[in-house]
Amino acid sequence: MIALTGMRLRAFVRTGRSVAPLIAALAVLSVLYGGGRAEAGEAYGASALILFPVLAWQTKILLDVEPDVQRRLARVAAGSAGREITAGLLAAAVAGLGTIAIALALPWLVQGVKPDPGGLGGDVAAVALGFGVHLLALLPAVALGGLACRAVTRSAGNGVAVLVTGAVLAIVLGLQGSPVPWLVPPLMATARFTASGSGAATALWLTVHAFLWSGAALAVYSRLRRTRA
Amino acid sequence: MHLDDVWLRYRRGGSWVLRQVTAELSAGEIAVVLGRNGAGKSTLLQLIAGVLRPSRGRVAGRPAAVGWVPERFPADQPHTVSAYLHAMAAVRGLRAAAAGRAVDGWIERLGLGGFRDVKLPELSKGTAQKVGLAQALLVSPGLLILDEPWEGLDAATRELVPAIVLEVAAAGGRVLVSDHRGETVRLPGAARWTVADGGLAVAPAEADQHCVVEVAVSAADLPGAVARLREQGHRVLRVREEVGS
Repeated sequence: MIALTGMRLRAFVRTGRSVAPLIAALAVLSVLYGGGRAEAGEAYGASALILFPVLAWQTKILLDVEPDVQRRLARVAAGSAGREITAGLLAAAVAGLGTIAIALALPWLVQGVKPDPGGLGGDVAAVALGFGVHLLALLPAVALGGLACRAVTRSAGNGVAVLVTGAVLAIVLGLQGSPVPWLVPPLMATARFTASGSGAATALWLTVHAFLWSGAALAVYSRLRRTRA
Repeated sequence: MHLDDVWLRYRRGGSWVLRQVTAELSAGEIAVVLGRNGAGKSTLLQLIAGVLRPSRGRVAGRPAAVGWVPERFPADQPHTVSAYLHAMAAVRGLRAAAAGRAVDGWIERLGLGGFRDVKLPELSKGTAQKVGLAQALLVSPGLLILDEPWEGLDAATRELVPAIVLEVAAAGGRVLVSDHRGETVRLPGAARWTVADGGLAVAPAEADQHCVVEVAVSAADLPGAVARLREQGHRVLRVREEVGS
């Protein structure tokens, strides 16, 4: 499974398909940090929110790099559908972690965030919080990107429709006062959490919500992929 | 392994591509899958390989190591021949040393030595098909599935395919070969599976069918070799001098 994960990541990089989402990530981060310095925690909350569609798109591109017949060959070689499916999701997660690393480092390089008055310890805590909130965006982004990939949707048009609809609904249904916030991953709620600095209980609930949503979406993805090789 | 009342359709509510398919393939057995274009041969092979899941019924007893050679090798990938085969060997669970031996062995045998560092999209159709053949054989397959394996291959490799099939069968592997060009006359003694109208008709290998095997023996040992073959019940049809010897 690790070998197949590596093979898919190499194909993603060598075909140059990794460049477009990377440029998109840099573009949205430039817009975010171009207007002056912000508190690190709050900035990371907004960063995770705006990177969500980019991470989902990156996942779709990575999963679509492999020709359909090669994906089937990989399933036969790996010995089970589960291993082949998991290897694709792992590759998408690793690529997403690369994008997140850039998102965490960039604001410090361009002085887009204010250093913590408490010193280095405060800055490290802010980066750790930033990593956590980006992970809460990465898991559902990988799930949404998977549901939009060609193997599931069977056409480029359907894939784009799933991706755009999922990203828009995640924001619209996540707005404060939404009657059904549980229908979408807690991206907006996480951004509000980092801005307000709510307590540990909120952080725990957001984490549970993100895991449950991602788990459900990944279960649907896995079920569909078992019959859609 | 066996197929028990297998049905398959690609979409819920769609028409059935395969219906009530029941068949068995024992260890060491070879079966040729016949049928017109679009009859469902490739679908049946992908079902048996584990690529597709039956909508109803089940495929049971599939060996752990399956080698599948698709009708068209997907050459639109950014790997070189060597890197691709090493990666596929790793996916099959081979460690670096074993992968190196397997890859080198099949590159040598299939005449791919000059293409090691060539990227897959730059290969001709026949050479790409050899890569497809090599990836299926990196580990000794308990089930080898060849979908139109003769397409685009040069004469030398066309001759090699039956030899590989017989080797896999001799090692206890099951082999399925699809063919719509009559090339499977090179596989006498194989069972005939005919796909038509969504169903499968199985005709077992003819027990009394005879094949001609050309064997080169040392001229000094010729009388003894002929005598031994006759003692074993074989008919010696003709003795001739080897061309080029």
